[in-house]
Amino acid sequence: MTAAPAGPGPDDTTARPDAPQQPTGGPIGRSVPRLHDDRLLRGQGRFTDDIDDGTALHAVVLRSPVAHGRLTRFDAGAARADGRAVLVLGPDEIARHTRPLPTVWRIRGQRQDTIELAPRTVRYAGQPVGLVVAAGRAEAEDVAELVETGYEPLPAVVGTDAALADGAPLVHPEYGGNTAGSARFGDSEDEVERALAGAAHVVTRELGVQRVAYTSLETRALLAEWTPGTEQLTVWAGTQVPHPFRYGLARALRLRVDQVRVAVPDLGGAFGGKTVLHADETLVCLAARLLGRRVAWTEDRAEALTASYQGRGMSATARLGLDADGRFVALDAHITGDVGAFVSQAGTGPFQVAAQAIEGPYRFGRAGASVRAVWTNAVPTGAYRGYGMQEACWIRERLVAEAARELGLPAAELRRRNLIGPEELPYTTRTFSTYDTGDYPRALHSAEQAVADAPRVREGRIRRGAAAVPSIEATGYGPTSLLEAAGMEAGGWESGRIRVNEDGTVTVFAGVVAMGQGIETALAQIVADRLGVPLGLVAVRLGDTDTTPRSEFSSQASRSVVVAGGALMRAGARMRERMHALAASLLETSAEDVRLDVEGEDEPVFRAAKTSRTATWAQVAHRGWLGWGRPDPDRIVLEETVDFDPPGLTYAYAAHAAAVAVDLDTGQITVEGYWAFSDSGPLVNPMIAEGQIAGAVAQGLGIALTEEAALDPSTGLPLTTSLRDYELPAPATVPTALHLSHTSTPGTVAPGGFKGLGEGGMLPAPVVVANAVADAVPEIARRLERTPLSPYRVWTMLRDAGLATG
Amino acid sequence: MTTAARRTVTLTVNGAARSAPAEDRTLLSDFLRHTLRLTGTHVGCEEGVCGACTVLLDGEPVRSCLLLAVQAQGRTVETVEGLADDGRLNALQRTLKETHGLQCGFCTPGVLMSLTAAEREGLDEEETAGQVLAGHRCRCTGYAGIRAAVAARHRAPGGPRQAPRGGGAEAAG
Ligand code: FES
Ligand code: FES
Repeated sequence: MTAAPAGPGPDDTTARPDAPQQPTGGPIGRSVPRLHDDRLLRGQGRFTDDIDDGTALHAVVLRSPVAHGRLTRFDAGAARADGRAVLVLGPDEIARHTRPLPTVWRIRGQRQDTIELAPRTVRYAGQPVGLVVAAGRAEAEDVAELVETGYEPLPAVVGTDAALADGAPLVHPEYGGNTAGSARFGDSEDEVERALAGAAHVVTRELGVQRVAYTSLETRALLAEWTPGTEQLTVWAGTQVPHPFRYGLARALRLRVDQVRVAVPDLGGAFGGKTVLHADETLVCLAARLLGRRVAWTEDRAEALTASYQGRGMSATARLGLDADGRFVALDAHITGDVGAFVSQAGTGPFQVAAQAIEGPYRFGRAGASVRAVWTNAVPTGAYRGYGMQEACWIRERLVAEAARELGLPAAELRRRNLIGPEELPYTTRTFSTYDTGDYPRALHSAEQAVADAPRVREGRIRRGAAAVPSIEATGYGPTSLLEAAGMEAGGWESGRIRVNEDGTVTVFAGVVAMGQGIETALAQIVADRLGVPLGLVAVRLGDTDTTPRSEFSSQASRSVVVAGGALMRAGARMRERMHALAASLLETSAEDVRLDVEGEDEPVFRAAKTSRTATWAQVAHRGWLGWGRPDPDRIVLEETVDFDPPGLTYAYAAHAAAVAVDLDTGQITVEGYWAFSDSGPLVNPMIAEGQIAGAVAQGLGIALTEEAALDPSTGLPLTTSLRDYELPAPATVPTALHLSHTSTPGTVAPGGFKGLGEGGMLPAPVVVANAVADAVPEIARRLERTPLSPYRVWTMLRDAGLATG
Repeated sequence: MTTAARRTVTLTVNGAARSAPAEDRTLLSDFLRHTLRLTGTHVGCEEGVCGACTVLLDGEPVRSCLLLAVQAQGRTVETVEGLADDGRLNALQRTLKETHGLQCGFCTPGVLMSLTAAEREGLDEEETAGQVLAGHRCRCTGYAGIRAAVAARHRAPGGPRQAPRGGGAEAAG
């Protein structure tokens, strides 16, 4: 068998009869139940905190109680003297045994390119300064209380305005300012200014998206074991990215990467919160190494809300210029990102994506965005689901809605005049995104129709309004060359490996990770479909650096089906060819003469049309491993591995609509109806896809209405330290009237035409709610600049507008 | 705090008598998970908000993170591990699977226990989807699939109203 062509394979063409967009009756496109649900429903999930059988020691992380200060005293004498202490590590021991963590995604001018594990200068409340290990968690907590620490307080810098003010205290004095780096995307400031100067109408707003906590229901957790004899570190970790996790650990602990194995048990949600190696996780592994034992650590909820990295946290001065006909002549945004105490591995990435994605589905004469990343004394930021794109959608669609209001035009009409039409695709934006396929006006039209008859009530104490907005989701990160050009130390490719075992079962290995999204089922469907075998034959193995393909991004950024699925589409086609060739040799006929018949979940059977001879799939597999009758003398092992580096991004899109009620007496917003019209290309499993969208919409409603990781403005201490203060979307937040529908326009980038969808449901949700509130209460529309639209904040606006009294 | 007081806790879990030492301060959730190794019960907040740790104590849904193990002395506890009937998913579990009522599955054991109690009590669909689910936080599903499961159970012939009451595992419907 010859090597596969480097370019797009035959499986890429949408015209091919067995391409998945043409229903084949195969598993692709079917809402099959998820393969691993049974054990989760039985309570037989195996999450990280479930693994310890009582033999592990337990760690507790010592954390800074101040937002900014110098650790002047770390006295572990009393703690170590307590008989229950197994190990107490302070900053000096940690520094002696480790190197800082590497960063990955930097911004121009960023000089802080490593992350210190336990620095003597603390820069956020919750930053690790040490670790205590004891036989059990409660004992470790007892011992931790005996560690005596002293801090010389430094003034806390809370929020980017304070950080950028004249004479602001410096978070990193060695860099001479609080700006970590900055970058411009799209047209230059001069060009955009010129276009704005020529505009008939300019709308300017100060728009912001709050910091939020990922809040997967399972917090971060780790079980680390050092085996002294073989000098191996085995880490069971709740991570989305086992390979970068391993790389960071090996670097920090001065080990070879092949001394470290990272295996991912069941993940209780992740949402981007488990895409980087945190300092505390590294310390737990250090403890295991120093002790030669198993050490377990599970973050508690307060730590998850304050010491785990957070998402969002940006503000922007944004301007939209329109000509006399309402055409968008210019868009500009100056985005300030609050990266917190230090730039985490990917800390500025979300802000850069917001700038890159600023245009969305519209045409602009000129468009550009500047990003300035700013250090403050908050916990660092990372990549929360939908990052950058959600903020961009918030900026853009608030501006569009406000422009329509100011001009007295229907927003729908204004959008229609500026939306990129299907005939214009592929379309390259001013920031050099090339949209591949879709029909954005059609999606928006569906959303507008959905709320055409929704109640609009502008009288009485309960107001009602509705809105619809379009959005675009860049998926399938990414072409490796694009990441390289962006200065990101990450490859965007995925490797997919299919092994047909000697009994005919099929084992699939991929670099992506299961975190509740159902990717193992989707990949099994793809492989079963490509091979033409029943789903029951296929098992999927993910998330183990010893056995699964290396992957940098793994499961994040809506890429698993696109990139890993793309690799497996190709590997499946090749394996199918090899199995047919082997069958042909056994049946003494040509490969073209062989057909693979499948009846339900029965074992598939190869039939030769000419000779009427048959052989089972398992027989052929068994002979294949023996090396008997092989057509190609050099190939025996029944494995096919394909590396897929997508040639471009592929753009999913959607339009969402919301109908809301606003209580003028309380400021309470109720979402009464919600509609999402999505297009992520052909869906591998529509049921899973809908689940992803519903969940993402709920998280978007959290940003819109309830969630905010707030700090005390003077001390920088976290105000939301429990789920009582940090309000997750409750059942009452998410309307029962949640309507999801799809179109399926194949993309041109990935085999199968797949596009991603993990994040898309989140992008328009906050702004469609805000725009619906603006529709209901136009008196406060001007002030809807920041989320969350909490009752207090809305009530304050209503009071200022003379609509509420109090 | 120095050496903590310990005593033996004896209780019935999923129909079996169990007995193990526990410190006074040990939470029921930790006792179930780490002492009895019934790790199906999950801990999402340890402060009574998320509902992931819900188990049935003498048939009543309770948050095991808000109780001490010693408070379960002599009582009957049902956890998610007791729901399946001879290894077969029970009707409620099957429904949740069919309606895609779980993603990561971390909140699911608690949701299952609350819904089990609601079915035994004969609560109607509105009460279940309203008050009962209000006590749970799911970060993954947006509650859509869980609500669909509640609705499907109330439509199903032999649905929740016919479900047996009492301490045993629910019969497969
Ligand atoms: S863990 Fe008990 S309610 Fe959250
Ligand atoms: S399924 Fe993940 S929290 Fe509910």
